[in-house]
Amino acid sequence: MVLRYLSGPDIGGASAEIIKRFEAENPGIKVEMVEGPAATNIRENMYSTSFMGGEATYDLAYMDVVWVPKFAAQGWLRPLDDWFTPKMQTEFLPGDVLGSTYGGKIYRIPVQSDGGMLYYRKDLIAQAGLKPPKDWPDLVRIAKKLQNPPALWGYAFQGKQYEGLVCDYLELMWGNGGRVVGEDGKILVDSPEAIEALRWLVDAVRKHGISPEGVLTFQEEEARHLFQEGKAVFMRNWPYAWNLVNGEGSPVKGKVGIMPMVGAEGRGGAATLGGWGWSISAYSKHPEEAWKFAQFATTVEMLKISYEKGGIIPARRSLFKDPEVLAKSPHFKELYDVLTDARPRPVHPMYARISDALQLHVSAALAGQETPEEAMKGAADEMRAFIERRRK
Amino acid sequence: MRDEGAQVWINWGFAVPALALMGLVNLIPIGQAFYFADGFAALPVDARLIESLKNTAVFTGLTVSLELVLGLAMAMVLLKPFPGRGWVRAAVLIPWALPTAIMAMAWQWIFNAEYGVMGDLFFRVGLVSSPQIAWLAKPGPAMAACVLADVWKTTPFMALLLMSGLATIPDDLYEAAEIDGAGSVRQFFVITLPMLKPTIALAVIFRAIQSFGVFDLVWVLTGGGPGGKTQMIALYVYDTVYRYLDLGYGCALTIVMAGCLLVMSGFVLLVTGREEA
Repeated sequence: MVLRYLSGPDIGGASAEIIKRFEAENPGIKVEMVEGPAATNIRENMYSTSFMGGEATYDLAYMDVVWVPKFAAQGWLRPLDDWFTPKMQTEFLPGDVLGSTYGGKIYRIPVQSDGGMLYYRKDLIAQAGLKPPKDWPDLVRIAKKLQNPPALWGYAFQGKQYEGLVCDYLELMWGNGGRVVGEDGKILVDSPEAIEALRWLVDAVRKHGISPEGVLTFQEEEARHLFQEGKAVFMRNWPYAWNLVNGEGSPVKGKVGIMPMVGAEGRGGAATLGGWGWSISAYSKHPEEAWKFAQFATTVEMLKISYEKGGIIPARRSLFKDPEVLAKSPHFKELYDVLTDARPRPVHPMYARISDALQLHVSAALAGQETPEEAMKGAADEMRAFIERRRK
Repeated sequence: MRDEGAQVWINWGFAVPALALMGLVNLIPIGQAFYFADGFAALPVDARLIESLKNTAVFTGLTVSLELVLGLAMAMVLLKPFPGRGWVRAAVLIPWALPTAIMAMAWQWIFNAEYGVMGDLFFRVGLVSSPQIAWLAKPGPAMAACVLADVWKTTPFMALLLMSGLATIPDDLYEAAEIDGAGSVRQFFVITLPMLKPTIALAVIFRAIQSFGVFDLVWVLTGGGPGGKTQMIALYVYDTVYRYLDLGYGCALTIVMAGCLLVMSGFVLLVTGREEA
């Protein structure tokens, strides 16, 4: 029998290695990896289209954490509670488990953890006799002091109208005590905390000038290029950038520190959780074998292979204390602090719409089209309208 | 000799396979769209729909009129014999032959705030004081960038359509006009333009339909931003169906879109007049 799943390109050959070992240990089960496009939204569509038709094309789904509520609400995923027990769940990072849960059931076993964090130029900060920032106002102060635009900017982030902008904004909003959706399902994005967090970001571009106006066209890579060329003091980005900014030939190699994103004065910062994991299709005819594979691929040993070969940051806690891993990647110590506090984006079946409303209005505020109040009010009204409509 | 009635049936018989195919790929999906459509009450108060219709109308109006003017000029030049015309004709078609999504990425670099060629060009000409211009970060310039990229790509196609129309205008009309003493400007307005009307109508409708459904170019170049100011209706339909999984409302949106196209096509036919067609 054959288990099939769709994933991005298998960079470094980690998945092929894991499949080879699994098949050697489990004669009779073959695993077929379909290497799809690198763009995750296209893979999301490919899974959606297949599941919409109720097809058993894919037994397993390699899932982005943000797909979980949407797919689970459609009944496309099999709950894993019988196999993936609460005790087993504690072995993984809490945010990754929380993001795999929908309506009190668990639908995904985490593989890769990802969280937004703050990169900073420790050399520049030390030269000026300063310390890394402790909160948002502190970051603005240091950035203004050290920057010299356009040769050196204060703060690079992801400002284009797309999902990444929401991740950046949510970190600030959470870091200011705001929330998107309350426990009772009420939309809270027009709260004073949420508006103030947006004002910080707008001010960074339009008032303090610590971010270039071009930041409105930045995704992850544009921000990384700016930072890696030594043209920014701070950068908000994901862990993937670490190996690149410290790579051979990088002008800022060895001059970079990482820390959790900062928040409001007297508050801790927050990180937006990203990451990947295994779900099992509700239409699969071989769920037990599929679980066997998902479990195998998330063992300590296999996650080590994933990290070594593919640079995939593991979602298992024990790997961050593993001497073998720490010897090669000392930054796992700081990374653990970021990832243990990472929070999933709003777990809501209509998250895609919620995100789009935020993208549009946050972007409009950054472009100076709307004030922060108007933007968040507009986003909230839009969200309430479509949630209301869906309810009917 | 066969009687007329039988002949009509035989003619229909020949048309059946083509009609069946058309029905299969056109009528059934259209029927399904109406069958699944849902949520019409929300349409008039949907701020995003109104905004995206507005953006799409601006985009379509600008691209089609610019392409018409430039395409006509290009077609008239390319129709005149000159050495190397074959090569020039092939060369102008290159933008049209290139894949849109890939060219959109190239335009993204051209308009890049830090390294973009466009900013450098403006700087060298002396129009701006710094080459670092964040084109795609401002609503107006971002829309202009989308329009420019589309005009660059599709003008050759417009020229191609118009060239076929120009070629059908008999030369003796121009000769007669010349004998009557009409200059080339007057010839253009009394002969070329009226004779070309049916072709223009066709070309404009054809391009307007494509332009109104623009997706890949904008999706890659701006993603609808900043602040949704380049959000097009096709992007909204895509989001609604594939990302929000709201098939019913997506169908309602496509019906609105189809309605706009019908009105637009009717308007173009009305303006250009039907008598020549």
